[in-house]
Amino acid sequence: MTVTSTEVSLNEDQRDCYQELTNVAMGQAADRLARLLDVYVVLPIPKVNLIESSDLHMAIQDAETDSAMSAVCQGFIGSGIAGEALLLFNDTSFSDLAALMNYGGELDRYGELELLMDVSSLLIGACIQGIGEQLEIHFNQGHPVVLGQHCKVDDILKSGNHQWTKTLAIEIHYTIEHVNIDCDLLLLFTEDSVGKLNNKINYLLD
Amino acid sequence: MTDSNIEFGDIHWLMDILQNIDVGLVVLDRQYNIQLWNGFMESHSGLSPQKAKGENLFDLFSEIPKDWFMKKAEPVYQLKTRTFTIWEQRPYLFRFKNYRPITGRASVMYQNTSIIPLESINRSVDHICVIIYDVTDIAVSREDVMSANQTLSEFNRTDQLTELTSRGYWLKELDREFLRCQRSVLPSTLVMFDLDDFRSINGHHGHQAGDQVLRSVSEGLRQTLRQTDQICRYGGEVFAALLVDTDEDEAVIFAERVRKMIERMEIKYGQQSIRATASLGIARYQKSFTTAQDWLQAADKALYHAKESGRNKTTVFQPKAH
Repeated sequence: MTVTSTEVSLNEDQRDCYQELTNVAMGQAADRLARLLDVYVVLPIPKVNLIESSDLHMAIQDAETDSAMSAVCQGFIGSGIAGEALLLFNDTSFSDLAALMNYGGELDRYGELELLMDVSSLLIGACIQGIGEQLEIHFNQGHPVVLGQHCKVDDILKSGNHQWTKTLAIEIHYTIEHVNIDCDLLLLFTEDSVGKLNNKINYLLD
Repeated sequence: MTDSNIEFGDIHWLMDILQNIDVGLVVLDRQYNIQLWNGFMESHSGLSPQKAKGENLFDLFSEIPKDWFMKKAEPVYQLKTRTFTIWEQRPYLFRFKNYRPITGRASVMYQNTSIIPLESINRSVDHICVIIYDVTDIAVSREDVMSANQTLSEFNRTDQLTELTSRGYWLKELDREFLRCQRSVLPSTLVMFDLDDFRSINGHHGHQAGDQVLRSVSEGLRQTLRQTDQICRYGGEVFAALLVDTDEDEAVIFAERVRKMIERMEIKYGQQSIRATASLGIARYQKSFTTAQDWLQAADKALYHAKESGRNKTTVFQPKAH
């Protein structure tokens, strides 16, 4: 298969539609989290943007160099639409996270890994599922990778697959009331997925 | 008639695939009783599907921590989302032998797992499926890379002859300390020193004896140091020490202690007994330094002065009056 480089573009209607789609998915996700964890998740308006690969590199680089930051990424694919969910924890207190998740173990490196995995399973899973349901796509998810624990940013970004220049990013900023938890969920779609995704969206717009 | 035959055939194939696929598949009900146990699970656990079916997962496999596993599985029932565990969290869920028991280096099978919801006809989730992936090779090679990197960084951090910090690593520390000094009021001082007439030691006693002198002096230095002092073999017979939170007077005390220690030292090499002395130059951090290089140069200047004025002595860098 030869992929001719197609210009990735996004018009205002499509942007609104992605935003609405994500809103609904997040609403569902928040509802589930509320039921499971008994917390109120603050829902902001998701940001839908076309981003450059250098922007992403910088975002992940921060996660790597700043020890106060952690990141988890997980690939997903379905109906020819592929992407990665990236969950970046900014300045999140692990003890608050532990309280939220009813985690009683010690908060050493392994304890933190447990928490990152549990929280990311919930946030990423709920959001991808919500979007998939609306678009009638069944997404398969790969195993999550915790960045900065076992791998270096450069290893991930230089692996050759990153010849894209611009791609669609949906950014959701999660905060949870009364606790010091603040994280960004980035849904990144591959360049060649954006066209297919736009087709699906156009169908919803009609 | 033919249709149902085909369907029956399909199911037969599917069952065959389920049995033979090289991935573990376990279906659990709401009470964590085993409902499906595929060929992979049977082969690795030695437990037949007939024996496993209906049994409680935690009764059969005491290695699975119940609380931990339920934390991963409950959201699957309640939220209908998938959850995952990776080998970095726990090397394995089921304690199985490595698939390559003879040539494989790990004794156990490292596992990643996915837990997926299985919807019943009324769309509720009463069963979950645990999928077990063998990731032993990935885990072993990751751990190899990590330990190789560890060894490499330790290798790069130490000077092979003296086992002091290497010059490269020390220079990075110096850069860091220089930046800290620019912001801080606490003094830090640099000491550079050089063994006097080292060339003649090498000439008289041979290079191996010279190496022994460097090793002995380094050993002596290690005992003189405080924990926060950073010392390296800067090159040849030149050493450099970075004394954090130390002013000039304290550095002079340190330098004199080192000088006397070396002077008193009687270094044995074979039948030979070798004596050495050292000259030392001291430079305190000055606001006028613009780079760490300026600081090094100042200490070097003081060292040069100590050499010029008779050796086996300590000289302090005097910044030019403005």
